[in-house]
Amino acid sequence: MDSQTTMPATSGAFAEDMHLPKAVSVSGLNHYFGDGELRKQALFKNNLDVRRGEIVIMTGPSGSGKTTLLTLIGTLRTVQEGSLKVLGNELCDADRDLIVRLRRELGFIFQAHNLFESLTAFQNVNMAAELSGLDPGIAAGRIKSLLSRLGLGERIHYKPNSLSGGQKQRVAIARGLVHKPKLILADEPTAALDEKSGREVVTLFQELARDEGCAIIMVTHDNRILDVADRIVNMVDGSIKSDVAVQETSVICEFLKEFPLFADLTPNTLAEVADQMMVHEADQGQQVIRQGDTGELFYMIRNGNVDVLVDDGQQEKKVAELTQGQFFGEAALITDEPRNATVVAKEKSIFYALGKDDFRRVLETSATFEEELRQALFSRK
Amino acid sequence: MKRTTKTPLAWKNLTHDWRRLAVAIAGIGFAVLLMFTQVGFQNALFDSQVKIIDDLQGDIFLVNKAKYTLAAEKRFSTSRIHQARSCSGVKGAYPVYSELTTSVLRKIKAGRGNRGYPLRSLGYHVGDPIFQSKSINAQSDLLRIPGAALIDVKSKAKKFEFDMEMPEKLDQYSLELAGKKLTLVGTFDLGIDFAHNGNLIMNAESFAKYFPHRKRFGDPLSVVDLGVVHVLPGFSVTEVKERLEDTLEDDVHVYTREEFRNTEIKFWDKSTPIGTIFLAGKIIGFVVGMVICYQVIFSDIADHMSEFATLKAMGYTTAYFIRLIVVEAILLSVIGFVPGTLVSLVLYSRLASVTGLQMLMTFDCLVQVLITTVVMCIASGLLAVRKLLAADPASLF
Repeated sequence: MDSQTTMPATSGAFAEDMHLPKAVSVSGLNHYFGDGELRKQALFKNNLDVRRGEIVIMTGPSGSGKTTLLTLIGTLRTVQEGSLKVLGNELCDADRDLIVRLRRELGFIFQAHNLFESLTAFQNVNMAAELSGLDPGIAAGRIKSLLSRLGLGERIHYKPNSLSGGQKQRVAIARGLVHKPKLILADEPTAALDEKSGREVVTLFQELARDEGCAIIMVTHDNRILDVADRIVNMVDGSIKSDVAVQETSVICEFLKEFPLFADLTPNTLAEVADQMMVHEADQGQQVIRQGDTGELFYMIRNGNVDVLVDDGQQEKKVAELTQGQFFGEAALITDEPRNATVVAKEKSIFYALGKDDFRRVLETSATFEEELRQALFSRK
Repeated sequence: MKRTTKTPLAWKNLTHDWRRLAVAIAGIGFAVLLMFTQVGFQNALFDSQVKIIDDLQGDIFLVNKAKYTLAAEKRFSTSRIHQARSCSGVKGAYPVYSELTTSVLRKIKAGRGNRGYPLRSLGYHVGDPIFQSKSINAQSDLLRIPGAALIDVKSKAKKFEFDMEMPEKLDQYSLELAGKKLTLVGTFDLGIDFAHNGNLIMNAESFAKYFPHRKRFGDPLSVVDLGVVHVLPGFSVTEVKERLEDTLEDDVHVYTREEFRNTEIKFWDKSTPIGTIFLAGKIIGFVVGMVICYQVIFSDIADHMSEFATLKAMGYTTAYFIRLIVVEAILLSVIGFVPGTLVSLVLYSRLASVTGLQMLMTFDCLVQVLITTVVMCIASGLLAVRKLLAADPASLF
């Protein structure tokens, strides 16, 4: 049999370019608030990897633990149980020196701007630049260009009192970015901004991610900027409910659309299907399915090539060769008959597989067009 | 772009809100004023206790070993004065006589006397270089008249009702000193203190007439209250002093001017409640200043908790925050000290003219109050810094 993992297909773990070093690695992370009888668990066995250069958007209802997770990653809270590595450093039982050193590598953008009223925009940003030990001349140049970039070129030497809410937030963003942090943690960075400056901010984020390899974790409900996300992490009740690589999901959806039975499905349903698929791996020469077995899974080839072999009673005959983006295994699920062919991996291959029940449910009870329309209208703001 | 070394956050935070700054300056200035008032009064009172010493000529002073303060009536024999005169390096040694308990001045009106008040009578041999005051020395010839005396213009007016503005009319008052007729022939300016409500100066012969009981049998002038010694130019005062100590019997103290002054001040400071009272005053000033300074720094921190928490998240260390608050405290103390000192100077000159006390802002007292103010502000800053260290960056998200 094939080797099955518990990894969802949409996690992106097997997509291309996904083998950069990890900026954040969370595993089995629990967190509790309060003591004694009032002790309440806020985070339940969370696992999350964020690679360098990745932009991760965290969503979830309030109280779902996303800010707790963010403060833990940001070294602002002490890790209680589990493992949390930030930029390669284990935070569980970390000493103060390490934490202070790490904090200087991080960029924080809080929901409130927290600017010193007594300092000008330039000086506020400079508070972060000074800490990084930058040459003052270089720092001054960078502060100016950052502030100009964020539309504050005219107001560099203004105090927060004479800036609007959005302008203050942009100064705070500049303060979070000026020292070229390796990891940016942002809480609703664009909430106070208009469309244009919000876009400018996320473009800056993308440049930092692309050019500096900066990882960005952002809690946001601003759906105008969802498009910059490499991954979207959804938290509910203290655990990560879904962790979806956007690019990979769209690749899967593109593939699924090619499957005739799924051709009529809307993007929403396709994404749901993608969510339910699990990763399977097979080494060269390994049988993925065997003729005569009962069919349990529907396969899509993510990487690699397979041979389809049919045994007509006398000898095994190769009837087809399938490659990336193609499917097999659907017939046994539709007809409830045993597998009518054997599939063998020609090289090390990766498949995304969908369970029988899920597969049937998609076919039978996929949302009707009208239903989807209604949902779209409902969620419109 | 000018290259700033570090953003002066302490200064900026302090000067950002001018109202709060004004309150802070007023508060700390007030504490400074309180301390200056205490120090000023204390010094003024101590100075008036030793004014007599300052007004005497001479380099070395002789007193009975048992004389713990100027007001204590312990005397020594004139022979010590004679012995002192024979010591090498001594230009001259002169006796000063003083009488307090029996020196009661009574004003006679229409044949009846009022109840009379004690004052200090000082006697000296006219012609001896005892007093520095030019007015005393100018009037010294008048003192040769038997029963003539000069009166201190600062003698308590309630007890000694004389028209000091018209010294030439003073001889018209009908007076009795220790039961014998006295004529005032002029005035001088010495000042009163805790022990003395007024002063008279007279020739030694008159003095002997008024206070014959100073010595039970014999010459009342054979016992001396204070010996004034002049050192010859070119001789070291300390060497002459040591020589005098060797020469004279063990019943007298030999003091230099400074030692004499310090011994007297020490008595009033340590052996009477005065020092304690003023210390309490200074402590109150210190505490008031500390409370005000704590309030100013604490509310500055409390208003900027999230900003400080942000700095913590950025990686600023505890040491940075402590430094920040200490700098802020020092700045506060200095900018509060300047106006406090200026107001104190004004107050000193007013008080001096009202009370007749010497209110001088010496360099020592300036430094003393400045250091106290800085210590006060740093202490309150360090108390308030705990609030800052409690700023929790986890509360920011």
